[in-house]
Amino acid sequence: MVSRLSALLFLFLALRLAAAGQAAIRAGDSGDMGENAAGAPRVTQHQVLPILLRRCTVCHGSHRQEGGLDLRAKAAMLRGGKLGPVIVPGKPEESLIIEKLRSGQMPPRDRLVEASVKPIEPAEIELIARWIAAGAPEVVLEPDVATATPDPLVTDKEREFWAFRPPLPAAVPSARDAGRARNPIDAFILEKLEQVGLSLSPEADRSTLMRRAYFDLTGLPPEPAEVQAFLANRDPDAYENMIDRLLSSPRLGERWGRYWLDLAGYADSEGKREQDLPRPHAWRYRDYVIQSLNADKPYDRFLLEQVAGDELADYESAPEIHQETYDNLVATGFLRMAPDATWANITGYVPDRLEVIADEIDVLGSAVLGLTLKCARCHDHKFDPLPQRDYYRLADIFKGAYDEYDWLKPDVRPGLGPVSQDALGGRHLPYVTTAERRAWEARDAKVRQELDALKAMKPADKKESEEIEGRMRALEAQRLPEPRIQALWDRGEPSPTYIYRRGDPLSPGLLVGPGVPAVLTDGKTPFAVKPPWPGAKKTGRRLALARWLTRPEHPLTARVAVNRLWRHHFGTGIVKTLDNFGKAGAPPTHPELLDWLAREFVSQGWSLKAMHRLMMTSSTYRQSSAVTADGEKLDPDNALYSRRPLARLDAEALYDSLLLIAGRLDENRFGRADPVQVRPDGLVTPAGTARGWRRLIYVQQSRKQIPTHLETFDFPPMNPNCVERRDSTVVPQALHLMNNGMVYSLAEQFAARVSRAVGTDPAKRLEMVYWIALSRPPSAEEERLGMEALDHLADRWNEHFAAAGKPDHDAAGLSALAAFCHAIMNSAGFLYVD
Amino acid sequence: MSRRSFFQQVSGGIYGAALTCLLAQDFRSGPGLLAAEGPGNRPSDLKPRQPHFTPRARSVIHLFMNGGPSQMDLFDPKPILDQEHGRQYFDKIAGEVENPQSAGALMRSPFKFKQHSQCGMWVSEALPHLSKQVDDIALIRSMHTTNLTHEPAVYLIQSGKMGPGRPTLGAWVVYGLGSECQNLPAYVVLDDPRGLPVNGVENWQAGFLPPIFQGTRFRSTGSPVLNLRPDMDRPAEVARVERELLARLDRLHQRQRPGQPNLEARIASYELAARMQLAATDALDISKESAAIQEMYGVGREPTDSYGRRCLIARRLVERGVRFVQLYINGQIWDNHAALATDLRAACERTDQPIAALLRDLKERGLFASTLVVWGGEFGRLPIAQLPPDKDERKAGRDHNKNAFSSWMAGAGIKGGTTYGATDELGLAAVENRVSVPDWHATILHLLGLHHDQLFFEQNGLKEKLTGVNEAQVVRGILA
Repeated sequence: MVSRLSALLFLFLALRLAAAGQAAIRAGDSGDMGENAAGAPRVTQHQVLPILLRRCTVCHGSHRQEGGLDLRAKAAMLRGGKLGPVIVPGKPEESLIIEKLRSGQMPPRDRLVEASVKPIEPAEIELIARWIAAGAPEVVLEPDVATATPDPLVTDKEREFWAFRPPLPAAVPSARDAGRARNPIDAFILEKLEQVGLSLSPEADRSTLMRRAYFDLTGLPPEPAEVQAFLANRDPDAYENMIDRLLSSPRLGERWGRYWLDLAGYADSEGKREQDLPRPHAWRYRDYVIQSLNADKPYDRFLLEQVAGDELADYESAPEIHQETYDNLVATGFLRMAPDATWANITGYVPDRLEVIADEIDVLGSAVLGLTLKCARCHDHKFDPLPQRDYYRLADIFKGAYDEYDWLKPDVRPGLGPVSQDALGGRHLPYVTTAERRAWEARDAKVRQELDALKAMKPADKKESEEIEGRMRALEAQRLPEPRIQALWDRGEPSPTYIYRRGDPLSPGLLVGPGVPAVLTDGKTPFAVKPPWPGAKKTGRRLALARWLTRPEHPLTARVAVNRLWRHHFGTGIVKTLDNFGKAGAPPTHPELLDWLAREFVSQGWSLKAMHRLMMTSSTYRQSSAVTADGEKLDPDNALYSRRPLARLDAEALYDSLLLIAGRLDENRFGRADPVQVRPDGLVTPAGTARGWRRLIYVQQSRKQIPTHLETFDFPPMNPNCVERRDSTVVPQALHLMNNGMVYSLAEQFAARVSRAVGTDPAKRLEMVYWIALSRPPSAEEERLGMEALDHLADRWNEHFAAAGKPDHDAAGLSALAAFCHAIMNSAGFLYVD
Repeated sequence: MSRRSFFQQVSGGIYGAALTCLLAQDFRSGPGLLAAEGPGNRPSDLKPRQPHFTPRARSVIHLFMNGGPSQMDLFDPKPILDQEHGRQYFDKIAGEVENPQSAGALMRSPFKFKQHSQCGMWVSEALPHLSKQVDDIALIRSMHTTNLTHEPAVYLIQSGKMGPGRPTLGAWVVYGLGSECQNLPAYVVLDDPRGLPVNGVENWQAGFLPPIFQGTRFRSTGSPVLNLRPDMDRPAEVARVERELLARLDRLHQRQRPGQPNLEARIASYELAARMQLAATDALDISKESAAIQEMYGVGREPTDSYGRRCLIARRLVERGVRFVQLYINGQIWDNHAALATDLRAACERTDQPIAALLRDLKERGLFASTLVVWGGEFGRLPIAQLPPDKDERKAGRDHNKNAFSSWMAGAGIKGGTTYGATDELGLAAVENRVSVPDWHATILHLLGLHHDQLFFEQNGLKEKLTGVNEAQVVRGILA
C-alpha cells in the first residue's frame, strides 16, 4: 500500500513538473524533483509544442510546409519560412508568429474545418508569447520509458497476480478413472470432476461425434457418404484420422478465420458516417487470415506479421515483391479495421483520430492480450496495475503509423462524394506481388490498346458510332482498379507523445516514449527499439512490440490464444472472460490446465492445428451432451466440463449449411466480396453467384448493410471488434427461418436434390433428408411422424393443384417434400449440435 | 391413433394453438418467454419489473426529429435577429461552423411568433396545431450537446455516448422495466418507409445489453416486421401442417434432452412468433379507427398521411402496453441548410397536425397521465445564415449548432405550459438552466421511476450506465 501511494505521489509530481516544465524528468533523478532549479525556465518548448501540433503543424509540419515553414522545432522556427524567421527569442512583439496569431491571420479561420483544426485560444497564444519572451528556452526532456531502475508505478507484488506471471509448468495429475484419460487434458479435467464425485460423461455416439467435429472445424456438416463410411470404419484410429482429414480441409480457414475476423473487427466499410465509405481492398486481409490458418502458420508468426508486417522487410526498395512480403503488408490490415470517420474534415479532428487509435489499442488488448487496456486511457486502470502512462507508451509505439497530428485519412475521391479512391494512395500500398501486378498491367494494357484502337476508328455513320461507343463502354467495364493493399505502415517521423490527462488532448502531461505494460515485464528492462534495417525510415517500434508479444514466456499471449481455442471447442473459456484476464475478469476454473496448454502450445511451435488435434482427441471433447441428474446437481453450469454443451449453430455455420444441404454452396474461395441486395423494406440478402452462393465469409460486410440473416443470428456490430458472440434466442430468428423467401427456396432445392438422389418413394426421401441434414437416419418415431406429415402435406398440395384445375401428383409430392425439408431446416435438431 | 390424426385438427397442437389465442394473456408470473441468456439475476427477459421508485409514466413515445430543428424558428424567438439581420458574425464563431465557405450574416426568422393558450408560450406560426396544445407541454429552450455533426450527435442523444456500440435510451428503459405486453415487442420503432434516419438501425440497438432489449422495427405499411409474413405462396393448410410438424419434432428433440433451457426458450420463441404475427397485425390495423380519428391525425391526406399513421399506431401500441415507441421521419427533414423558409415549413406541415392529434387523443383516452411524449432532435441551428454558392439570401438556411437547441416533453409527470431555460440573445448558446443530454436522459428515466445512477449493467467490473460517467441532473423545473 505504501509503495502504491508513493508511486502515485511520484506520478503526481512528475505530471505537475512536466506541465510546469520546471526540470528535466528522468527516472532516478527524483532528488531535485521537488525544487525549482535555479534559473530553470518557466515555459519550455514542451508547453508550446503541443499547441503548435494542435493548431499549426498540419500545414507547417512534416508533410506540408506552407510558406516554407516548419513549426515542429525551435531551430526550424528560427530558420523560418519565406517571410523569414518566425520567432525572435526574447522579443515576442517582434516575432512573426505572435503577430500572425494575434491578428487572427493564422490559423486561417476559413480553412480551419478543412484542416480539421479548432481555433487557437488566446491563452495558447499568450503562452507562446511568454515562451518567446523568456528567450524560447529548450529543455532536453527524455521521454519516460522503462529503464534499468525499478519502476515506481508498478510493484513486484502486483506482478504476482497469476495472469501477469509466465505460465508455470504443471504436473499432469493422475486420475482415478485413468481409463478415461486419453491425454493430459482429460487428466486435469477428471481431477476436478472426481473431487466433486463426478466423472466424464459417456462418449457420444459416432455420428454425433462426427457432426460435432465437422461443425467445429469446418462449419459445415458431413456428407451422408462420409458419415456412412465413418460408421462402417472399424479402424481404432478412425476418429483421429477423421480429425486429421478435417484439419487439412480448406474449409478450416473459413471457419476459424471468421473467429479471427471477429477479433480484428473486420468490415468492408469505414462506418460511423452515413456514407459508410467502402474499403475496397479489405478482402485481401480476409484471405490472408484464411490462408494463414489453412497453412497452420505458427501463431507467433501470425501475430508478428499482423502487428508489424511493414517492419519485417524492406518492401519499398525490393526489386520484386514476393508472396511473403505481400503477406506481411496485407497482415497489417489487422490494425486498420476500426470504424473510422476521419476521412471527412468535420469528423477528422484530433479527438476523432484518437478514437480510432483507442479502438486499435482496444483490439490489441482484447484480442491478443486479454486486457482491458482501454480503461487506462483517461486514468490509471481501476482494477489492474496499468498506469495511464503505460497506455500512452503503447500509443507511442503506434505513433509511427497512427499519429493524431500527422494523420493519413481514408481516401475520398474529390468532387465525387464519398467513394474510396485508389489513385491518391492514402492508406493503401501498391505492393501486391510482382506477379499479380504484371498480370494486372498486361491485362489493363491490352484493354487500353483495344480502347485506343476503337477510339482511332472513324465511324461511317451514327449507327456505327454508337456501336463503337458501346464496345468501348463494355471494355471500360472490364478494367479492374489497380490492385492495392489496405495496410498500416510506420512513416518514421512520429510526433512526441504526451500523456493526455483525463484523456483530453488539450491537457498534455508527461512526455512518454514507447513501451509495453510494465506489469507484464520485470520492470527493470528497457524496451529496446531500433530501426528494422539499416537506413530504414521506420521507427521499429511495432516490431519491438511484436517481438515482445511473441516471446515464449509472455504471460498472456499463449494463454489468451489457447483459452479462446478452448472456448470454441468446449463452450466456455477456462477463463470465462476471454478478453479480460485481469483482476475484474473471471479467474480460471482450471489454472494448471490453462498453463499446461499454454506451454504445450509454445512447445508445439505455436501450431494451432496441433492444439485443435489435442483438444478434439481428448475424452473430454468426446463426451455426450446429455444432462444427467448428477451433472445438473454437482456441475450445474458445466464449469467442470462434465458434459459437452449443446450449441446453436452460429450465423455463418447455419447459412453455409443451408446452402450446402440444398446443394447450392459455391465453394469458390477468396477474392473480392460478393455484393448484397437491399430490399426497400431493409431486408439484406447476398446476391449470389452463377453457381449459387458462396460462404458468408465471402459476402460483403458493409457496416450499414449487414445481411439480415447475419444480424438476426447474432452477428455483432464491429465496434471495434467482438471477442465473443452472443447466442440469443429471439423471435426474429424464428420469423426469418419460417418466412424468409431465400430460406424457403433453399428448402425447395433441398427437396429437388433429395428427389434426384432417391426418386419418389416417400420413405426413401425421408431417410435421405435425415442423412443429409442431420447426419443420421430418422428414429422410428421420427419416421412415423415424417411419413404422416409427407402424406398429409401431399394431400393438401393435391387439393390445391386440383382446385387450380391442374392436378399433378408428382408436383404435389415434391412440394410436400419441400415443406418437410423446410421444417427440418427450422428444427432444433438441425440448429443445435450435440 | 389413426395415421393422420396428428395433423387433422385445425388448431390442435402447440404452435397451432398459439395462433388462436391470446392478446390479453397475463404472463407476469410465467417464465421468461424470449430470453435464453443472461448471467446471474441480471434482467434478460421482458417480464414487467419494479422500478426504483413510484413512476409517473408507464410508456414513452419518443418523437425523434433527426436533423436539428431550428430553435429560433420554432420555439425560441430572437427579436434581436430582426434588428441585427445582415450583420457579419462569422469571425466570432469560427470553429463552430461546419461549412465556413457558406457562412452568411445574422439572419432573422422568416416566421412570426405569438404567445399561445393560457400559459402564453411563444410558438412560431409554423406550428399552428401544436400552438393550441402548449398548455400540455413543457418546453426546454436550453438544451446543448457536444458535437455539431449528425452522426456523433445522434449517437449521443440516443445512447449517451458519441459513437456506436452503446445501448440506446429505449433499450435501457425496457432493460430496466420489461414490458406489460408479451405479444408485442417491448420497444417498437416506427421508422419512415421513405428511409432510415442517420446511423440507421444503430438508433435502436441494444449495445452490450442482451439483444432482446433492442428496438424492433414495425413498418407502418405492408408487413410490419421483416419476415413477419411468409415470403412465399402456398396454401395456408400446408403452412399449418408444417408448423405442426415442426412443433412435434421440436418437442421430441427436447424430450430427449432434458435440462436444456435453450430448447425451451427456442420453442417459446416460435410460439411468440406465431402470436406476434397476429398481435402486430392487429396493432397496426388503423382501419379499425373511426374516420374522425383518422381525420384528426391527418391520415389519408398529404402531407400528413405517413407521419399521422405512425402517430396513430404509436397510440395503439401504448394502449396495448408497449413500453417504448420511437417514431422517425425520413431524410433529416429538419436539417435546413438551405431554403429554410420553405423546407422548415414543409417539415412542420408533415408533423404538426399528427403530433397535436396524438396529444389530444392520448388525453381523451386517459392515456396522457401514463404516457410520456418526448419531442426533439440531436442539436439546433445557428443564428447566422447559411448561403448557397450563388449567395442568394432567399435560399438561405442555417448550419448546425451544438450549443443550443429546444425540445419538449408532455404527458405523464410533466408540468404543462412550462418554458424552461434560456439561450443568449442570439440563440447561439444555452445560458440559463442549461440542460445537457445526460440531464435529459436522467429526466426521462426519472419519470419512469428509474434512477439514472442505479440503472446499470455490469461488465468488466464497471457499472455501465446510460448517463456514463457524466454528472446528470433531473430537470425538476418541468416536472408536475
